[in-house]
Amino acid sequence: MPSWLPGAMLLIAAWEVAARGLAGRYLLAGPVDVAVHAWANAGLLSRAAAITLENALWGLILGNLAAVALALVALALPRLAGVVAGLALVVFCLPLVATAPILRVLFGPGPGPQITIAALAVYYTTFIPLMVGLRAAPASWFDLIRLYGRGGATALVQVRAMAALPYLVAGLQIAAPAAILGAMIGEFTGADRGLGVLVIRAMRGLDVTATWTLATISAGVAMAAFAAVGALGRRLTPDRPEVLLTPPPATAAGPMARLAVGLLTVLAVLVLWWGAMELAGLNRFFAKRPDDVWRFLVTAPQAAAARATLGAAMAETLAWTLPGYVVGLALGAGLAAALVLFPAAAGSVMPLAVALRSVPIVTTAPLIVLALGRGAAGTMAIVAVMTSFPALVACLQGLRQAPGQVLDVFAAYGARPWQRLVHARLPAMLPAFFAAARMLVPAAVLAVTVAEWLATGRGMGHLMALSASTSNYNMLWSATALLAAVSALGYAGVAAVERRVLARYAPEQVS
Amino acid sequence: MTRSAVPEAPEIVLDAVAKTFDTPSGPVEAVAPVSVRLAAGQTTALVGPSGCGKSTLLRLIAGLEAPSAGTIAIGGESPDAVRARAGLSMAFQDPSLLPWRSLRGNVALALKLARKPVDRAAVDRLIALVGLEGFEGARPAELSGGMRQRAAIARCLVTEPRLLLLDEPFGAVDELTRGRLNRELPALWQARGTTALLVTHSVREAVLLSDRVLVFSPRPAQVAADIAVPFAHPRAPDLTRSNRFLDLCDQVSAALAQGEATRRMVAE
Repeated sequence: MPSWLPGAMLLIAAWEVAARGLAGRYLLAGPVDVAVHAWANAGLLSRAAAITLENALWGLILGNLAAVALALVALALPRLAGVVAGLALVVFCLPLVATAPILRVLFGPGPGPQITIAALAVYYTTFIPLMVGLRAAPASWFDLIRLYGRGGATALVQVRAMAALPYLVAGLQIAAPAAILGAMIGEFTGADRGLGVLVIRAMRGLDVTATWTLATISAGVAMAAFAAVGALGRRLTPDRPEVLLTPPPATAAGPMARLAVGLLTVLAVLVLWWGAMELAGLNRFFAKRPDDVWRFLVTAPQAAAARATLGAAMAETLAWTLPGYVVGLALGAGLAAALVLFPAAAGSVMPLAVALRSVPIVTTAPLIVLALGRGAAGTMAIVAVMTSFPALVACLQGLRQAPGQVLDVFAAYGARPWQRLVHARLPAMLPAFFAAARMLVPAAVLAVTVAEWLATGRGMGHLMALSASTSNYNMLWSATALLAAVSALGYAGVAAVERRVLARYAPEQVS
Repeated sequence: MTRSAVPEAPEIVLDAVAKTFDTPSGPVEAVAPVSVRLAAGQTTALVGPSGCGKSTLLRLIAGLEAPSAGTIAIGGESPDAVRARAGLSMAFQDPSLLPWRSLRGNVALALKLARKPVDRAAVDRLIALVGLEGFEGARPAELSGGMRQRAAIARCLVTEPRLLLLDEPFGAVDELTRGRLNRELPALWQARGTTALLVTHSVREAVLLSDRVLVFSPRPAQVAADIAVPFAHPRAPDLTRSNRFLDLCDQVSAALAQGEATRRMVAE
């Protein structure tokens, strides 16, 4: 019996009990209802799933090719690696809720936006591990290549590519469910087929059973994609190390150098933004340039009003994001620490948490809103759910990194389990915890804005959706820029804390 | 390739070679100016306290590091030029086998990198010679530390280099195997006429394998003693029990101890 089976069965049983027990008070559909509904609409649902999967697959391929290309550029131009990583981060922080309608205008009908958003949703989670993986080889392997008079190209083929393979697989595994999420968000913006279209329809019609069925199917597809990539990875790299410990890619050392990289990144973003729009010859009516946003927010007569609207929405969004993010991280880390004290349970929880991590936010958000309503509790719960599972998985992996010899020392002195936890395992967990905390900043913002857009009708998500539907492109681009900047700054802030903490507890990670 | 096309074993000339590393806590002088001439076809053993800069000296000769001062000539060429035509081999302290390649694949990799044809039978013969017959298909993770080190030695020898740099090649090898390798491997490179440099911590091994022992002082590396080993090759197994052999060992040990005593005096 697979180790996850008892946990999964328990979860399904709890779901059914909850659905029956809470019927009437909360809008819930149990597994039996879902199964009946899925059976009755098997044709429609499988056709929609096939469309979504196709778009997600294309996005996955394109996004990962982009990630590989970016990582190779960063490798070839080490001086620019910091700026390349910064650019990649800013693009990853673009709120999909805003980019989706803009892409729809750009592409018109068809699968273009779905595929692009799927690609945007995945490239960063491959890029970061690849940046680490391409450097994850001992210096003596490169000495060996140089010893026989060979250069960087040989090192790339013989050493870096193979050393990076496990990292690529780890990135791809996270990317597979993210691609499905991206494709569904793309479908929300006026596609005519796919799971995302059905979700929108079910939510508009307040069809609880259909919403739960679609959530279950999307979650199942995402988990299957995660498992499939994992299985493929195990075949490709049978003895792969555990690689989710991703320290920040080696960038400039020292605060001044980091500031320079930051400023260069901002400059590069502005130039690329402006250059791309001009080169593509995009109409200024919907394709706003940096100077349009500047005018709208600073020099135009109604600039103050625009700033006030934007500021109010941002404040509302942050008020939900921050507590949810902190609670989610704490829940994940706390649960991981508790599971170490009860190792028997960990074997069952870990695969379940890994699977639940891949459940797309667009399926969870409607369910939680249906259950908890459109208020603060619902939104915060969405963020907490979206952050706690990745944090739990990362922390469990981190806790396992405690060196065996160190644990042997504790065992030799008859240390108690909690002493081992506090003195050996928690410090070993920190790199993984921070890696997750960093990556979860954009994820938390995405979760809140999706919830605001689809359900609560508040904050930045709502403002962006409203601006898109009223063709207020000045506001849409301004909101996008502000949100991307806040996400990227949040990420940089967590990275700064990470550097300080790891310098003390895991100096080998930040050298 | 015919025998006559193979380049001669090179003479190595170090002229006031020094190396200083820049570290966060200031510059560290690893090698003080060293001038020494190593005859073609000879095996020279480098002994000295841990961290004295012997490995750095080897890396300088291999061209993996650039000297801060002085010049190195290998048969009249620069280390970079020799390296560019794969004219030397080095066995690192760490076996540095690629984990995704089999033992055979790791040994053959050196031939591939050196742009030489891969002769599978020759690769397997060398693997057998270092006592790893039957493990040709094994991954490095399946081998013990000593076995991995022997694989690295095989990889180092497979290109039939004229210059061989061995950085504590037998450190992790068990005593019994080490004795056998000490008998069999030097014969292999000495019969071919190879200039060899061997870093070792074993005084006995240094005297047994080499024609000359250079004793280094504590960091920065400086030649504290230069001791000729006058025994002809191949050396008989009972040589190690002869008085002349034991006297030479004592001489090397005394030079090592003196270097250590000097360092303590300087420190105090």
